[in-house]
Amino acid sequence: MFELIRKTGQIGLDFSATIGRSGVFFMHAFFGLALTLKGLRLLVHQIYKIGVLSLVIIVVSGLFIGMVLALQGYNILIDYGSEQAIGQMVALTLVRELGPVVTALLFAGRAGSALTAEIGLMKATEQLSSMEMMGVDPLKRVIAPRLWAGFISMPLLAVIFSAVGVFGGMLVGVDWLGVFEGSFWANMQSSVEFSDDVLNGVIKSVVFGLVCSWIAVFQGYDLVPTSEGISIATTKTVVYSSLAVLGLDFILTAVMFSSV
Amino acid sequence: MESYIEIKKLCFKRGHRSIFNDLSLTIPRGKVTAIMGPSGIGKTTLLRLIGGQLKPDSGEIYLDGKNVCQFNRREWFAARKKMGMLFQSGALFSDLTVYENIAFPLRAHTKLPEDMIRDIVLMKLHAVGLRGARELMPSELSGGMTRRAALARTIALDPELIMYDEPFAGQDPIAMGVLVQLIRLLNDALGLTSALVSHDIAEALSICDHAIIIADGRVIGEGKSSDLKKGGSPLVKQFLNGLPDGPVPFHYPAGDYRTDLLG
Repeated sequence: MFELIRKTGQIGLDFSATIGRSGVFFMHAFFGLALTLKGLRLLVHQIYKIGVLSLVIIVVSGLFIGMVLALQGYNILIDYGSEQAIGQMVALTLVRELGPVVTALLFAGRAGSALTAEIGLMKATEQLSSMEMMGVDPLKRVIAPRLWAGFISMPLLAVIFSAVGVFGGMLVGVDWLGVFEGSFWANMQSSVEFSDDVLNGVIKSVVFGLVCSWIAVFQGYDLVPTSEGISIATTKTVVYSSLAVLGLDFILTAVMFSSV
Repeated sequence: MESYIEIKKLCFKRGHRSIFNDLSLTIPRGKVTAIMGPSGIGKTTLLRLIGGQLKPDSGEIYLDGKNVCQFNRREWFAARKKMGMLFQSGALFSDLTVYENIAFPLRAHTKLPEDMIRDIVLMKLHAVGLRGARELMPSELSGGMTRRAALARTIALDPELIMYDEPFAGQDPIAMGVLVQLIRLLNDALGLTSALVSHDIAEALSICDHAIIIADGRVIGEGKSSDLKKGGSPLVKQFLNGLPDGPVPFHYPAGDYRTDLLG
């Protein structure tokens, strides 16, 4: 009985300690990016590894999701004779919701787990310790470029996802299902607002990028430096990032779109 | 014997387990000091405490006369320019070549032009015998070569103190011989203070000037290697001679043998 209470208390304490460590870690890493030529070179290299190399999965997923949306949407809208609205449906769904959220989930799975594994392996092989012993702060040198690269890449990937998705929707809706191209684009243009829809979607993806990158680098930095520890940490990265993204999406949607 | 590192009444706990209890020792300047002891006694922890990666619960650590327990983050990073640590696995950065690895501390701490950095890197690599391997990646090196490259990186900034964490572990006789000779030569040629953590008694005692044996969270034997071999407590004798039974018992505590077997 007491053991159960003690264990519950211990879990709570450990959780609070982890959140605290994560916060301190984030502050040091976020403000630790060196704005020198060397620092920017590291940042660009990381943006390539995290952002550019994720393009394939983002573009392919975006294309297929846009195509499926158009297909499913057409099946439903045709019953009401509103198939001309397919453009607006695809665009709004992507720009407001699926673009930021699916990109964040794919990002967490691909780039997030890679970041955690890389940093975790550097910790396990004592590379981070040796860097510290050489007087170079690993938070500034290793973590900060990766954190900022994720933060910068995510919104860009989300925008690309939405754009490719709309193109995929057009391929299916106009070229395959025969929706009139004029109304496809015209309806989309009249119903998608820049500040209400596109910008809100970008804000969401910025928040998701921050959260996913933070979770990924922290899990890598904080793990137990064994092979089992790395496996647990990469799993945690994907699970926590996904849950955080979906939870935050709900909150942000409620705040941004409830009055619309 | 002037001391470079002085540890006074150090206490350190990990969770509920007390690792060091009132530990006091000195590491003399300009000499090779071997820190030895049974497995799991906290020798690597001691190096991390000296290097500032861990903070002691109580006690004082003096590095070249300065109390490091009062250092802030910035003072630590300045102090670390003067010390080097050779990790057990070498810990070379896996995404950089051997050349880039040695150049790393030079580029991080100095504003030297690239051609000067090249000269220094080549000199350090030549000192460890790896000048020809400079374009290889760490994954392409053998275990012994990895450690030598890591040693070259450790001496890149010409530190005053080098700490070696189990340098002889898992090495073949030739690689071991090379490392043993390098540690001694570098210490004498560069005027370094070397602190060597090892349980390879033979090799460690063969090159060290001063040996410290730690057990049960405190120092149980200290002095020149020849003195330790002659005198010392039963625990020191058991450790140095590799006796299976003594103060560290062979049998895990159990009941009476006859009763267990027959009763």
